[in-house]
Amino acid sequence: MTNIVEMRNIVKVYPNGVVANDGVNFSVKRGEIHALVGENGAGKSTLMKILYGLERPTSGEILINGQPMQFKSPLDAIAAGIGMVHQNFMLVPSFTVAENIVLGMEPTRRGLIDKAEATRITEELSQRYGLYVQADAVVDSINVGMRQRVEILKVLYRGAEILILDEPTAVLTPQETQDLFRSVRTLVEQGKTVIFITHKLREVKEISDRVTVMRRGKVVGTVLTSEATREGLANMMVGREVLLSMDKPPQNRGDAVLKVRDLTYVSETGQAVLKDVMFNVHAGEILGVAGVEGNGQTELVEVLTGLRPATAGTATIDGYDILTGSPRNVREAGVAHIPEDRLTNGLALQATIDENLIVDRYYVPPFRKGLFIDQQVVVEQGERLIKEFDIRTPSGQVPVSSLSGGNMQKVIVAREFSAEPKLLIASQPTRGIDVGATEFVRQRLVQKRTEGTAVLLVTADLAEVMSLSDRIIVMYEGEITGVFPDAASVTEEELGLYMLGIKRKTLEEMEADL
Amino acid sequence: MSRFLKSPAVRSVARVVLATAAALLLGFIITWFVSDDPVGAYKALLLGPVSRLNRFGDWIEESITLTFLGLAVALVFKAEQFSLGQEGQMVLGALVSGAIALFVPLPAYLRIPLALLGAMVVGFLWGLIPGYLKAYLDANEIVSTLMLNVLAVKFYEYMLTYYIKPPNAGYTASDRFPVEGTLPTFFPPIPGLENLRQTFINQTNISIAIYLLVLAAIVVYYLMYRTPFGYELRMVGANIKFARYGGINTKRVIMLSMAISGILAGLAGAHLSMGIHRKLILNIQYGLGFEGIVVAILARNNPLMIPFSGLAYGYLRAGADVMERSSDVSREMVLVIQGIIILLVTAERILPMVQQRVRAHRGEGNGDEEAVQADASLEAGKGED
Repeated sequence: MTNIVEMRNIVKVYPNGVVANDGVNFSVKRGEIHALVGENGAGKSTLMKILYGLERPTSGEILINGQPMQFKSPLDAIAAGIGMVHQNFMLVPSFTVAENIVLGMEPTRRGLIDKAEATRITEELSQRYGLYVQADAVVDSINVGMRQRVEILKVLYRGAEILILDEPTAVLTPQETQDLFRSVRTLVEQGKTVIFITHKLREVKEISDRVTVMRRGKVVGTVLTSEATREGLANMMVGREVLLSMDKPPQNRGDAVLKVRDLTYVSETGQAVLKDVMFNVHAGEILGVAGVEGNGQTELVEVLTGLRPATAGTATIDGYDILTGSPRNVREAGVAHIPEDRLTNGLALQATIDENLIVDRYYVPPFRKGLFIDQQVVVEQGERLIKEFDIRTPSGQVPVSSLSGGNMQKVIVAREFSAEPKLLIASQPTRGIDVGATEFVRQRLVQKRTEGTAVLLVTADLAEVMSLSDRIIVMYEGEITGVFPDAASVTEEELGLYMLGIKRKTLEEMEADL
Repeated sequence: MSRFLKSPAVRSVARVVLATAAALLLGFIITWFVSDDPVGAYKALLLGPVSRLNRFGDWIEESITLTFLGLAVALVFKAEQFSLGQEGQMVLGALVSGAIALFVPLPAYLRIPLALLGAMVVGFLWGLIPGYLKAYLDANEIVSTLMLNVLAVKFYEYMLTYYIKPPNAGYTASDRFPVEGTLPTFFPPIPGLENLRQTFINQTNISIAIYLLVLAAIVVYYLMYRTPFGYELRMVGANIKFARYGGINTKRVIMLSMAISGILAGLAGAHLSMGIHRKLILNIQYGLGFEGIVVAILARNNPLMIPFSGLAYGYLRAGADVMERSSDVSREMVLVIQGIIILLVTAERILPMVQQRVRAHRGEGNGDEEAVQADASLEAGKGED
């Protein structure tokens, strides 16, 4: 097999002196599925941006099919047959699938867009590559898996021979992931080449032919997937031994800290997003909430933290109904919250690390001294938490925006953990952060639980919910449809059936375990 | 050396200096076209404010008003609230302080503080209204403050015309304020300097407002950067969702940011009435309505920089006045030159853009803006590509 992509000695130095790629050699063979893995900041995104023409290398060569190339913009890369499917979909929600696919290269008839032709093109592409989509459905109304297929078809329509998939499974359920993998294999059978960026080593093992591991701007190695182990890859990524499975100390379960009863939330548009939700979270346990995203988990967390008003029901902590309070009342009742979207809710990016660490406590002593905030106490706390939570930064006085994703998350974790909560609500706590930071966050969560904190863990990562939780509930369409009192004995397939609404339990069956 | 040149502070100063130089050059070219004596006209613009004591006084007085307005704007912009209500707050501040100065029979040491307090209170209240509307009824503050400006200006005119103007006066203005209602000169009565002091009193209206101003800048700085309220204000401005998530009462912060901003605009009004004009006249706010925004943007909302940007902008405006009066260049052209300077200085992206072009030309990559943000850029950017 020949190398369809060959990147030689790629160096990328940003104007501020950060070396993102330091002499990277990367080659992909025609017709293979090549996984590219590495921690956040390892330089894999930069490398792919260079390949896709979004960034220009400081030095180095790119050869496509043996021909040297100079990409000035993605347009050049697309012309050379390279397509990229981004993690965040770039679709117009109000357009149909067919319209989205042809957008920018519309077939026209007498100067107008030929919708019939667009639909025909879409159906033909869909059949040829085994990527099922509904050509005339509005994108707003289709599910995440189909949206992703639309993105892939969009790239194929532009004549891509080499597809870069940037963390494609981050938003998918296990079943959808399997569908995607089938599609990827079909693509390869049709002669396409796929570069697959991911954090998840299990997927690397399952789908790829070869895998390239990057660390700190360099390639650590490229190996045949069949000869690699997950542990070996993880060690290559981090540069040290990593614990992939969590060793949880035995549980010491206490009384119920949070009692949720008949919780209902009706959105502004009149949809019942949460329906009579009921459960307890006990001291010293991690209660995992599994479910496909968009089944009410986000709203559940926001209602419990005072960010959204509940429509009906109660949620009490030590007898105090947190649903009646403001976000501050909820925090003062002993609830800490790692939010699902750290950039939107969890941090103020332009503010410094120190400032981000005091948002829930700046108004009480010792942070408040008389009329003023005591800067010294703020800085001291910053130094202490930066050390304790291993936040990689020159000081606490730099803006949070200068940190990597994993370190941003550590800032949030540091703040919420140091609040010494009775109940910790962690929503997607490891999403989009690298292996090292993920390991760190998970260990701290378990440590908190072992110390006697009640933890409500909401995550779309099945492996995470299964390995961390003591008990699991499943949410489907705003209801709790399953409960597993012993998380260790659940299989992924079983959970998947509940998550997709294929199986469900009645309230009577579950009541004792909730 | 290159590290030094790359530090953000040096860059921003360099940017301002470069932009100003470019603007002045452009301004001169324009003057060249429209004036028979371009050098003389341009000299009037550049040196006018310091050529005579009375012009110097005009410059400083103007700068004081601009600085108060700039502080008002900076405070509210820091919370990302785009209140444009400074004009209305200032006019009402002038009205209330003027009415107290004229009609409250108290000695100076009580009347002046009372008048200042009145201006602050009315500014506060006139800011509270759009603040409440925004926080609790979700009314757009740009629209509501513009409306309230009209209301305030018309109310001012109504009160002046029908209640304050002496019935026999030939034009619409109040009586001159008595000494008890006028801000005293800034010049302390130092023995031996009585003559100089008298010269300042005769030729300028620079009053103790200048001390108030320094105090105000420091107070605003401490309020913004050292108090719990300032922290709330900045967090609401930086990311309102984060502020709410963290437990900050964002509605209260929005409301108070606009109201406290009004205090400063109210003081600007008191300076206009009791410091500069020493009577209430029609259009007392003429040409000042939105100038606080320019001052705040030039100083990037930094309260300690605002007195300087106020002085710089005041200089430009005072120079423009001199140029208009003493040369054949029309006010319109002068405003064009002013506009160019402001445009170039506030267009923060211009210099980075030029740098990017140069770098791209040399083939050193495209100089991605976000790369400046250290290693975050390595993984970031998925959203915008």
